[in-house]
Amino acid sequence: MFINYEHNAHVYPVTVERRGSQFFITYDNNEYTVEASELKQGQLSIQLGDRLIKAVISGADDNKFVFIEGNVFRVKRIELTGRKQTEKKEGGLNSPISGTVVSVKAKEGKAVKKDDVILIIEAMKMEYLIRAPYDGIVKKIHFKVKDQIEIGEPTAEIEKEA
Amino acid sequence: MEVIESTINPQSKEYKENFSHYEKLVQNLKEKIGVAMQGGGKEAVKLHRSRNKLLARERIDTLLDPDTPFMEFNTLAAFGMYENKAPTAGIVTGIGIIHGREVMIVANDATVTGGTYYPITVKKHLRAQEIAMENNLPCIYLVDSGGAFLPMQDEVFPDREHFGRIFYNQAMMSSMKIPQIAVVMGSCTAGGAYVPAMSDETVIVKGTGTIFLGGPPLVKAATGEEVTSEELGGADVHCRESGVTDHYALDDHDAIRITKNIVENFNRPEKTHLDIKKPEEPAYDIKEIYGVLPKDPRKAFEVREIIARVVDGSRFHEFKALYGTTLVTGFARIMGYPVGILANNGVLFSESALKGTHFIEVCCQRKLPLVFLQNITGFMVGRKYEAGGIAKDGAKMVTAVTCAQVPKFTVIIGGSFGAGNYGMCGRAYGPRQLWMWPNARISVMGGQQAANVLLTVKRDQLWRKGIEMTKKEERELTDPILKKYEIEGNPYYSTARIWDDGVIDPVDTRLVLGLGISASLNASIPEWRPGVFRM
Repeated sequence: MFINYEHNAHVYPVTVERRGSQFFITYDNNEYTVEASELKQGQLSIQLGDRLIKAVISGADDNKFVFIEGNVFRVKRIELTGRKQTEKKEGGLNSPISGTVVSVKAKEGKAVKKDDVILIIEAMKMEYLIRAPYDGIVKKIHFKVKDQIEIGEPTAEIEKEA
Repeated sequence: MEVIESTINPQSKEYKENFSHYEKLVQNLKEKIGVAMQGGGKEAVKLHRSRNKLLARERIDTLLDPDTPFMEFNTLAAFGMYENKAPTAGIVTGIGIIHGREVMIVANDATVTGGTYYPITVKKHLRAQEIAMENNLPCIYLVDSGGAFLPMQDEVFPDREHFGRIFYNQAMMSSMKIPQIAVVMGSCTAGGAYVPAMSDETVIVKGTGTIFLGGPPLVKAATGEEVTSEELGGADVHCRESGVTDHYALDDHDAIRITKNIVENFNRPEKTHLDIKKPEEPAYDIKEIYGVLPKDPRKAFEVREIIARVVDGSRFHEFKALYGTTLVTGFARIMGYPVGILANNGVLFSESALKGTHFIEVCCQRKLPLVFLQNITGFMVGRKYEAGGIAKDGAKMVTAVTCAQVPKFTVIIGGSFGAGNYGMCGRAYGPRQLWMWPNARISVMGGQQAANVLLTVKRDQLWRKGIEMTKKEERELTDPILKKYEIEGNPYYSTARIWDDGVIDPVDTRLVLGLGISASLNASIPEWRPGVFRM
């Protein structure tokens, strides 16, 4: 899970993976393994390497105060909105631009994984990669190399894997 | 403001390849700059020092407030030109801080052909004055130059943007209440004599500084009079007799001390107010830009990944995120200064151009500086788009960019082709500064496209005469064009000719923009007054 924490007006992007009471944390290209258990409501015991840290946490979800060894940290989890809406629309099989097909990578009848390149369109000095939006079987590719393609035209059909 | 969520994977093969490729580009840039900074070479430097003179960059370092940055322009001017005999074009220009305020410094490097003016030297001097004029920055000329480079007189003397313009600019700036200060630390011969003479306040160094319209050889030829340079135009003559200079300095250090005192008494007006916050580093490592930029310039990249590594805290308030998506617009802060950002994320369509126009209007109303992150292959072409009026929509954006009087800054982070260059505030649209990244490319169209256009024209001409071209003939026509575009589209070809203000390591982009915005606040920001928008 990717989380952004804010402390002292600085943002710390952190990746956290949980396995039981173990947490695998990546921050700033460093990896930390942390063992944490809740002693009682709002009190944590944290094992970091050979250090045992006791922490008390109070405050609401998005604005927490963390007390560790006499220091208080105000930590805020930042919600990332706005971007996700735009991302949903991307990755379709329709051509994003009018141009020429320069390469067909997938084969009809063959299986593809999500993000595999189906075909490449060249337009306005740039290459546009059409990628599989999901795992599946390529049912039909509508274009071959050197074909002209219009913006919005479907490039291929992929049957979703059941 | 929301933090941009980065989706790159620094572990991927592609990222790692991009990264190591880009590290080489940056290393290459640093090597080139290293060579240019050596000026005229060891022998010339030795001779210069033997005259008890500091080097141009040492003079600047001593003059500026300790531990303050010097934003140098066009270190690679004249790169690959004049048989590489004029590194940095023999002149160092840049914005530095003295007594807490920004000034423009123009320092001749006498180790390079005696500090004489090649055509590009003139252009670099004039560009520095232009920046000073636009940003209302006092000018300090550290003069040590033999004047025009005589073998190229036809390219430095007669035209409007040639040598004479330097003095025109000095008079104009003085009339605009922008202080003009000359420090004579070497020769100031012929036309060069007007640099101190046209200044508001001048310093001259005893023993090394000389000012005269005609040097001893010329005097001898004209009148037969035999005279030494010191007798003809030294510090004693000009401080005690002629009044051409105001302050008498014993050596370079003394001259710099006096110059600082001059600046202390400028009584400059307050800087323009902006809502400034404490600067904050981006949430992501800036150097990751190396891995985001594709090795192959034909591959697209997500420009938000770049914005995330340029703006404070990676926070970005995106404007019209779902409309005209090939142009990303939004508000952010850079080194604490609020800015409006326009960044390309694909070809410009009508919608993207309209969105850009709208956004520029908003920023101008709010008097926010604009930052253009330019990576544009052009406006979309084709029957459908022409019929849809892409020319008039593009024109709206060009009008808005032109009429925007807020400080504009352009960074070419990828391609800069065709009319896209205009809409994204290319050189002609008066950005206060324009910087290039080492991967950048600039030309009227792509080399391949230009070759194809010319080939089609030629083929049609011959076809009318009933001749058909062979494949070999076609290649003979296109190959030189491809080669020409490759050479001329290179960022070093551009920066050598001062089509930009310098090539920078992407890592320094925040700093350079921050300094640029800070300097721009020395001038006031006029009201928004656009031209006619074709509807």
